[in-house]
Amino acid sequence: MSQELLEYHNVLLKSIFTEAIVDQQEPVKIDQVVSDFDNVMFHISTPESKTKILLSIVLKSWPDLEKYGAKELLKAEYEGFVTETEVGYNFSLLVDLENLPCSTLEDRTLLVDKLSLLKRNAMAAPFELAFQQFDEMSKEAQQFEIGSYTPTDAQTEVMAIKYRDEETIYIQPNWDRVTIIFSTGFKDETDQVLGKVFLQEFVDARRRALQNAPQVMFSKEPPLEVQRAGFNGQLRPDQSFITFVLFPQHIIPQRRERAISHIQTFRDYFHFHIKSSKAFVHSRMRHRTGEFLKVLNRAKPENLEKSTRKI
Amino acid sequence: MSQSLKPYLNAVRHSLNAALCLESFGSEIVERHSYPEVEAGNDPLALLNPMYISRNENEGVLIETSVNSVRMSLRVKQADELERILVTQFTRFLSRRAEQFLILRRNPLKGYDISFLILTTHIETMMKHKLVDFIVEFMQVVDKEISEIKLFVNARARLVAESFLVPFYQ
Repeated sequence: MSQELLEYHNVLLKSIFTEAIVDQQEPVKIDQVVSDFDNVMFHISTPESKTKILLSIVLKSWPDLEKYGAKELLKAEYEGFVTETEVGYNFSLLVDLENLPCSTLEDRTLLVDKLSLLKRNAMAAPFELAFQQFDEMSKEAQQFEIGSYTPTDAQTEVMAIKYRDEETIYIQPNWDRVTIIFSTGFKDETDQVLGKVFLQEFVDARRRALQNAPQVMFSKEPPLEVQRAGFNGQLRPDQSFITFVLFPQHIIPQRRERAISHIQTFRDYFHFHIKSSKAFVHSRMRHRTGEFLKVLNRAKPENLEKSTRKI
Repeated sequence: MSQSLKPYLNAVRHSLNAALCLESFGSEIVERHSYPEVEAGNDPLALLNPMYISRNENEGVLIETSVNSVRMSLRVKQADELERILVTQFTRFLSRRAEQFLILRRNPLKGYDISFLILTTHIETMMKHKLVDFIVEFMQVVDKEISEIKLFVNARARLVAESFLVPFYQ
């Protein structure tokens, strides 16, 4: 089933860097603007010489991400590559092909993977922060008796990431769970209805088959966490909220990285399947219309004559 | 075919057969013109009594008859929001191809999902029993098609949701 899921990296970045770093092809002049999901743009260029690749990223949600430590996280993750930020972008990396820090093929492949995950790593900051808070709080909670521990408001602060014009991700850490809420909206009426069907299945999946899965909830009203985060109260009729509750078993250290990558793809995944279902419905109706036309044409006597003549 | 569908379709078939006895009829108001009287409604004498055949409160057929034309409007079952959307899409799809469908009316009658308008010329150029066959088959297939699409969408949604949630704990 996993092949149906989205990849976490940017394909174009990966292919450019694979050519340059893994295959070590002849360095070429590059100047490309690459767009990604959620209003993210990359600029990949070779401003000085062909061996020095500059990779810059601009995110709509950068002010929010920066507040939650995205810059520090990226600096640590891409140590040795960070450079002065290009004008008009939020963060830049410079890869010097002549002085790569790694020599073996395996290391170079890892480097390419890391570079193509730039967007994911930038968006990961608030999630990392939330998981850290969760760690601290759960440690504190162990010193209390069950049920008597209440974390302070500052510890469970709701982080809002406005990653699209009218859509936001809210993240709230707590001592026994981390809550992630997506606000979502559809302009098209058909999308709204299909979206509801899909979201309902997300909610039911846990009840039906997957007892270990994160809990998913779906509501038209903004959940309490969202209201706490200073939700401005302008709710469009097509807007709804989908909540993922990650329990401790989903955020154990070895699953953590994947959980962050995976939850980020939720919106794209969800929208892709809605569009794809619509396409299926459309092609099926087209086929059916053709069949109807055939049945109607049978009523015309000239068609009947023609077909008998053929025999 | 379910128990209640068969008598319903049979009733529609026989009523249509009876209604489709059309003859050329010149307008009594404008010389040398001929209007489909059921649409024009200028001449009460040319109109016959309409018929309403229903299977339940949500599904029904209205057959309006006149001397030279018959208008048949169909209401398709719409149990929930998804079915409603699918029916609207489907009928829109068909209405856009009304030119090819000859007997299809571009806009459905108010309160119905799709309308057919059968004129004397249609009866003259096409075989009447095959026309009736077409309409009956249409009614049958539309229902089936809608429920199949709905099943597909639900099944897909289920698979999509489950495969998204699995990586969280695997």
